[in-house]
Amino acid sequence: MGADAGASTATAALVAHGLSKRFRKKVALDSVDLSVPAGSITALVGPNGAGKTTLIRVCMAFERPNAGRVEVDGVDPWRHRSEALRRVGYVPQTPAVYRGLSVEDHLAMARSLHSGFDADYARRRLDQLGIPLDQRADTLSGGQGAQLGLAIALGTRANVLLLDEPLANLDPLARREFIQVLLDAVRSEGSTALLSSHIVTDVEDACDRLVILGGGKIRLDCPLEQARRTHRLTDADSPPPGATAVGSFLGKGGQKVMTLWRLAAAAADGADGQSAAPETTSLEDVVLGYLAAGRGTAGLQLN
Amino acid sequence: MLTRIRLTLKQHRFETIAISIVCLGLTAAALIEAYRLNSLNVPLSCLQSYQGGYIDPSQAPISPAQAHCNELAKSFFDTKGSLDMNLVQLLLLFAPLLAGIVFGAPLVAREIEQGTAPLSWALSGSRRRWLLGKVLTGVLLLAPLMLAVGLAANVLEGALNPGLNPNASFSNYLGRGVIDVFWVLAAFAGTFALGTILGRTMPAVVLALVVCFFVRAAWDAGMTHFVLRPFAVEQVQQDQQQQGYVVYGPGGGSADMYVYYKSFIDGKEVTDAQVNDWYQQNMVCVPMSTPTPTPSASTSPADSSSPGASATPDNSKMGDIGIACQGPAFDPSHMPQQVLYVIPGSWYWQTVALESGLLLLGSLFCGAIAFVWVDRRRPY
Repeated sequence: MGADAGASTATAALVAHGLSKRFRKKVALDSVDLSVPAGSITALVGPNGAGKTTLIRVCMAFERPNAGRVEVDGVDPWRHRSEALRRVGYVPQTPAVYRGLSVEDHLAMARSLHSGFDADYARRRLDQLGIPLDQRADTLSGGQGAQLGLAIALGTRANVLLLDEPLANLDPLARREFIQVLLDAVRSEGSTALLSSHIVTDVEDACDRLVILGGGKIRLDCPLEQARRTHRLTDADSPPPGATAVGSFLGKGGQKVMTLWRLAAAAADGADGQSAAPETTSLEDVVLGYLAAGRGTAGLQLN
Repeated sequence: MLTRIRLTLKQHRFETIAISIVCLGLTAAALIEAYRLNSLNVPLSCLQSYQGGYIDPSQAPISPAQAHCNELAKSFFDTKGSLDMNLVQLLLLFAPLLAGIVFGAPLVAREIEQGTAPLSWALSGSRRRWLLGKVLTGVLLLAPLMLAVGLAANVLEGALNPGLNPNASFSNYLGRGVIDVFWVLAAFAGTFALGTILGRTMPAVVLALVVCFFVRAAWDAGMTHFVLRPFAVEQVQQDQQQQGYVVYGPGGGSADMYVYYKSFIDGKEVTDAQVNDWYQQNMVCVPMSTPTPTPSASTSPADSSSPGASATPDNSKMGDIGIACQGPAFDPSHMPQQVLYVIPGSWYWQTVALESGLLLLGSLFCGAIAFVWVDRRRPY
């Protein structure tokens, strides 16, 4: 169940080697090897407790790894924190707003803390979204608060953006807006983003790369399209030729146990070559298959 | 940096406003109380001769001038002992600790509690620089406010003790003057260090209250026991005898600060127990309703060993009700002698500088702990 060597470390914006983190007896990250290519938008997907937040916190030097190392834009954040964090824009899980301070105050605060912060750029982004700068930030809606967090992260003009489940508390419309702003900014700036989420459908259209994290281990790390193309979901009794089972889970409707199969490389290419519209598997099914593999199928059997 | 300071004050606006109102209000209250006392214009001689309303029946009837003098003195002491005066004095004593705790506790802890620390630390890169900005804001707010309070307390102390120069006297010296600035800095540093370690505001407040008040309560004893002893000088006993009573230590109205004493019998240094034994062996106790004056003027150490204790001027010691113990009419040179070691009031500034320096060292130590800890702790 190893990760695909999807990216070369030479062009990687974020690299982790054998990264492990334990909280007493609980293993949050278990020898994680990860490489996020520069210029990509990578979805970091996994269930609650998979280690997504811990991975991002290690990258932000909020947590010290027990083993292994991580480099953000070529800099170890634990050894050279200031230098590493200058290269990172961070959006926390819950909008971090100072009670009583206005939106404009938040930008001023960011400007005073980060020497390279582009307040005009952030202001323009907020203007475009119609977020009043003189409004108290703690009275903003959830979506507006998340947009403020994103504007601050983008205002740092950092090479790497780390977004720790910023969509978790947003309604569908706010989620879509958030992703659109993120996409526009990343594409125009050419920066790299690692977007953590447990809502697969949200990241499906935005990201070009998928990392599935489960039980502290990387279950899958590959381009999004490849993930769709190289997996099939069928009954447990009818495996595609040459495929290896990944994991089984209850299908839609909860009536049938489905199995995710990983196709051999040749079979996947052949499928591409033979069909004008290649058969693909939904990203949600791919993710569910890998998460089920991490858990085992016992809990997924029909009663 | 000005933006950081402005925004930190805005972020902590409740604490900023509350502390400013309390400090400025307290400053005004102290000055008003001092004005009330000063405006009575009581001559010092009236205060010295006032006997608290007691009229000795053996004396001749008092003159109208003396009666007027007594009236003035009574109004002075009534004002001095009034509830509002006591309240102001109490607040002046604790204001530096409370202000430091109130502003220090949420400085880091609230950022952690409200989840803004990850954003600030991510933006700042250097957490120490981030903390420095916040600490600087606290210092710039608290130091001038507490200086105003301390100076007002000095004026009030001068009014409470006419004839005593507040800048050359240890009367109440830990609760007034520039040392207030160092108290507030120590409380502030200790509390924001606790807030940084605990990451929670209320536990930091509670723990800081306990620690600060313990330190404040133990400070006098600690200073006189460990720090000030080498600087204490022998006090001339004759002054006390002329005065007729002894008032020791800070708060007692004496310009000098009592530090410690030594007892001697026939020129040989003895312990308190030996002095007590000597009195047990040599004193005679008889049933009496009032103490009987004797010509000797020496004072028992047992009567005067604690700050604020006073001995009767006639060398008599009240025992149980109806019992008076008289010291034997020995040659005074053979009686237990006591030598007091004090810091003279003229050393006020040197002593304040020393104690302020110690408080500043404590503040820097606590601050250093916070600066080390903030670099290692999790922002949640």
